Amino acid sequence: MANVETSLKEAMTAIEGSLGAALVDYTSGMALGTVGGGKDLDLNVAAAGNTDVVRAKVRTMEMLGLKDEIEDILITLGGQYHLIRLLRGRGNNGLFLYLALDKTRANLAMARHQLRRIEAELEI
Amino acid sequence: MRRALKQFAGLRQPAAADPEVLRELRVLRSRVPHLTGALAVGTGGVLLAEDAPGTQAAALAALTAAALADALRLADTADRGHFRELLVRGEKGYVAAYAAGPAAVLAVLAEPRANVGRIHLEARRTGARIARLAAGADERPEDD
Repeated sequence: MANVETSLKEAMTAIEGSLGAALVDYTSGMALGTVGGGKDLDLNVAAAGNTDVVRAKVRTMEMLGLKDEIEDILITLGGQYHLIRLLRGRGNNGLFLYLALDKTRANLAMARHQLRRIEAELEI
Repeated sequence: MRRALKQFAGLRQPAAADPEVLRELRVLRSRVPHLTGALAVGTGGVLLAEDAPGTQAAALAALTAAALADALRLADTADRGHFRELLVRGEKGYVAAYAAGPAAVLAVLAEPRANVGRIHLEARRTGARIARLAAGADERPEDD
């Protein structure tokens, strides 16, 4: 089991091409922790903005009558991948991990696999 | 600070709300979902502009100024520097106050499901813009 800071640091170092990572509470839109980012990637803005993305998808699924839950969301940009992975179980509802990747350096399948492992080991 | 406030408040009171400040409040409300009201308040408690239907705007303005005075003292006593923002979370939502220069403060009302991160980002910007508008009014009173 790893704490928030360790998990985010691992996402930054173990996942090839990581630009920034955040753990976000999507009931409030606030980040519980951030690693990386910078002038070109404000992770607090990303936390608030992607909260709207997650909420919109949850609402859409409700409207579609899908009785399922989101495992992850992938957003592909020209030069980046953005991965959103919702935390599940252990009373961690309402949180997601956000990871921004450099598209030229990242291996998407590997990044997704590693983020799943980091999420499973994360303890709040 | 108090002098700046007097100039600003004296200039605006009891004239109609500053249309530019009011426009900023409307833009803020339209940009953030579940944000139910926004008020620009002089630090003395004068309501400068409001876009907060269904609220007691004047009472909110007076209480925001009172809360701001306490928040300023608290930040000062705790050696946290200048006031930036104040967030109150109640069972039925949020009331927040954001610094808007030396003469004004921005008060915001939101539902419980509002995205607080988003409110912070947008309201900080609006606060800075209201500060500029208020400073402009202070510097060029003859223009009005």
